[in-house]
Amino acid sequence: MSEVLQKETLLSYIGGEVEPKGTSISIRAINERGREELHNTAFPTRKDEDWRFIDLKSITKNTFVSVDEADTKEVGDISNHFLPEAMNTRLVFVNGEFNEELSSISDLPNGVIVGNLANYADHDSVKSYLGTITNYENDVFAPFNDAAFSDGTFIHIPEETVVKAPIHILNVFTDADKAFYATPRLLYVGEMFSKSTIIEEHIGLADNVYLNVPVTEFKMFTGSNVHHARIQRDSKQASHVSRPIAMLDKNAEYHSYTICLGAKLFRNEPRVIQNDQEVDFTVDGLVLIDGDQIADTHSIMDHRHAHGKSHQLHKCVVNDSAHSIFNGKIFVAKDAQKIDSFQENRNLLLSEDGKVNTKPQLEIFADDVLCSHGATIGQLQDEEVFYLQSRGLTEQKSRELLVYAFALESVESMEVESVEKLLLNEVIQYTNRDEK
Amino acid sequence: MSEELSDEVKALESMIGEEYKYGFTTDVEYEEFPKGISEEIVRELSRVKEEPEWMTDFRVKAYHSWKEMEEPTWFNATYKKPDFENMLYYSAPKKKPQLDSMDDVDPNIRETYEKLGIPLEEQKMLAGVAVDAVFDSVSIFTSFKEKLAEAGVIFCSMSEAIKEHPELVKKYMASVVPVRDNFYSALNSAVFSDGSFCFIPKGVKCPMELSTYFRINNMDSGQFERTLIVAEEGASVSYLEGCTAPMYDENQLHAAVVELVALDDADIKYSTIQNWYSGDENGKGGIYNFVTKRGICKGRNSKISWTQLETGSAVTLKYPSVILQGDNSIGEFYSVAVTTKRQQADTGTKMIHLGKNTKSTIISKGISAGKSNNSYRGEVKIGKKAHGSKNYSVCDSMLIGQECGAHTFPYISSENPTSSVEHEATTSRVGEEQIFYLMQRGISEQDAISMIINGFVKDVLKELPLEFAVEANKLLDVKLEGSVG
Repeated sequence: MSEVLQKETLLSYIGGEVEPKGTSISIRAINERGREELHNTAFPTRKDEDWRFIDLKSITKNTFVSVDEADTKEVGDISNHFLPEAMNTRLVFVNGEFNEELSSISDLPNGVIVGNLANYADHDSVKSYLGTITNYENDVFAPFNDAAFSDGTFIHIPEETVVKAPIHILNVFTDADKAFYATPRLLYVGEMFSKSTIIEEHIGLADNVYLNVPVTEFKMFTGSNVHHARIQRDSKQASHVSRPIAMLDKNAEYHSYTICLGAKLFRNEPRVIQNDQEVDFTVDGLVLIDGDQIADTHSIMDHRHAHGKSHQLHKCVVNDSAHSIFNGKIFVAKDAQKIDSFQENRNLLLSEDGKVNTKPQLEIFADDVLCSHGATIGQLQDEEVFYLQSRGLTEQKSRELLVYAFALESVESMEVESVEKLLLNEVIQYTNRDEK
Repeated sequence: MSEELSDEVKALESMIGEEYKYGFTTDVEYEEFPKGISEEIVRELSRVKEEPEWMTDFRVKAYHSWKEMEEPTWFNATYKKPDFENMLYYSAPKKKPQLDSMDDVDPNIRETYEKLGIPLEEQKMLAGVAVDAVFDSVSIFTSFKEKLAEAGVIFCSMSEAIKEHPELVKKYMASVVPVRDNFYSALNSAVFSDGSFCFIPKGVKCPMELSTYFRINNMDSGQFERTLIVAEEGASVSYLEGCTAPMYDENQLHAAVVELVALDDADIKYSTIQNWYSGDENGKGGIYNFVTKRGICKGRNSKISWTQLETGSAVTLKYPSVILQGDNSIGEFYSVAVTTKRQQADTGTKMIHLGKNTKSTIISKGISAGKSNNSYRGEVKIGKKAHGSKNYSVCDSMLIGQECGAHTFPYISSENPTSSVEHEATTSRVGEEQIFYLMQRGISEQDAISMIINGFVKDVLKELPLEFAVEANKLLDVKLEGSVG
């Protein structure tokens, strides 16, 4: 550890220190733990295998201050970002801080909790699970969230309860005079045979620089089921480093879909841990980037027990001088037999200056498994473009249509209609950007 | 089919129980250096080999580079680090025989070859293969030299090439694998003992398949082979390399460097069967095989193809690569890696696309059994100017037993929007239905499994030259005997 002292830590970029702000004992303890780790862990460099391809300049060239010191602007009217399906199941966080006025929680089934963490700090589930599921080795970002968060989202679904309305967690970021950091936090506890849909959204309202480091923890008990959509539309100057992790008990199902549209630097490290037999999970992703955006996904599908099924489809479209990175790991532990795991990474490289790095990775220690992965990097097929042109479309239009079709598959997995519509709009905006 | 099979079974049975077929030592007198490495040792080595000054300088420079470098640790294997100070850097049979006929060869050495099943005379007559046999470090026998000379092909030991063709060696040596490329290539450059040199001039199709049999024989003598193959414009050559080694307890290091250069329209095919001692059930002993193999398609329309069957060694780190510099050049990599007992193999390839319309194909099959670990690590890189390039990779792994591991680490990157890369990988085991289907037709379980495995690796083995393919099949069966079922 002593050698760490000579190296940079994340603290160098956030003004040297993070003050623990948790008002309850349980959150305070996590703050302290995170702070210690932050002091003892070196900031990653390109020499670290997991950070080889990514340029972290967007973080390192800045100094981020806490929201209190950033002179943030008023949030204004954001009702256009509300989902019609979730009018009464919405929590809003502005620059990482809970906003009660914009939030609206009512008519939830009996016993369901959707609220802010600080309010429920003494809840048994918070005490038992908050901060216990994340386990990122040699990491600086999860500890940073640990050290800096004081509030967040707490969702608790009791046994055999189904929440029909999607729960919308809306994180908005406003303009500010200084670059600031935010550490949104989410703890989800799904009791036995519960079911819900979570829409986690990050929206940058202006074009300012900020650092968004969310941590989400999902504790899934036997037979519970979650559909988790994550939509990242941060400001195109922002950096977003997220740590979503799910721990699955027997027969649990967890399906996550991450859509990356915004942020200059996006680093996402989803992990799903199979904690018992017979689970089923999805870790899909769609990345649409252009300009000088960087989008990096490092996922882990960790099969620790027998009889599991997992699926990953990660699609990227890269334009201009954007850079997409993917590293998907499938782990199958010894004795974790009968695992059926599939991973696919498809990249569409549209420009001369774009760049794609991909590294699908299998690490298998059990023999009776069926694990496979595929990765492709390519461009639109001339034949396909020609086919559409022969039917009267212009070349430009044909190309747009093909990119649209490429992205469509991922968008269609969204179970909420308004979200699907919103994303289709985003896709069209992306593909038609050259049209005037 | 059934007749063939029963022959195979007989052959198999005859081999069962032989722990390591090629494990024995021959008493030959050795001229030895003190153990350890220093600038003096490197200079002395060069002096004993009667090398010109430029070669001595090359070695000394490489030695100093190596001194500054750190031993790599990034791969997926754990082992006892080789003790470079406790190693012999030169050993050669004392009497250097002047060969006119086989009778002049040291009878002990001849006996070794007979045990190995490579009767040189017979091989000359029957197989039409020129054999440059490397016994430990010094070449002692080169056959078919005259016939090759007629065609203009130079095929000799590296020591000889340094003396007789210095201009060629100077031009191409370390041009593909620079001295400082990695820790082991630097070490090799400083202390390489010998190896093969092969030069195919413009427009010549090499009249026969070239082959070298390597054999490690002296306890504690790390082997540092150096091979260089150059094919000029329009030339083509197929080169075979096969290895067996005696059974020892002390780990032995093998850090070879192989360089291939293909100019315009040239074609090089390099095939390897590697079956060095892999250590016992508990992972004791065995060879460390840390080889740097790289080819460059320098000219337009050139082609380099690597085929390998890796079954031996305790630890294998090996990534035969192709740099596709010339436009329309082609790189191929076909590999079967089998690990059993406590073997660890981290192997794969690198395809670096620089020229336009370059193509590469990677077919890798890994089989792990026992308590072994088998990793595929590959890199495909499409450069900014490699317009219209294509890569296709398949990496399949098969697991046999519950204590082994299979890993896939493919690195893929592209900076060109007109190129395409396709990669797929699977991990599975021998299907119960498949075995049942074959057994139902009267085939024993062992044969059924053997047939399925042969089918699994067929795509690769068919790339081997015929002489090797037969040997390869037998080797696979022997290797996996007892671990399946």
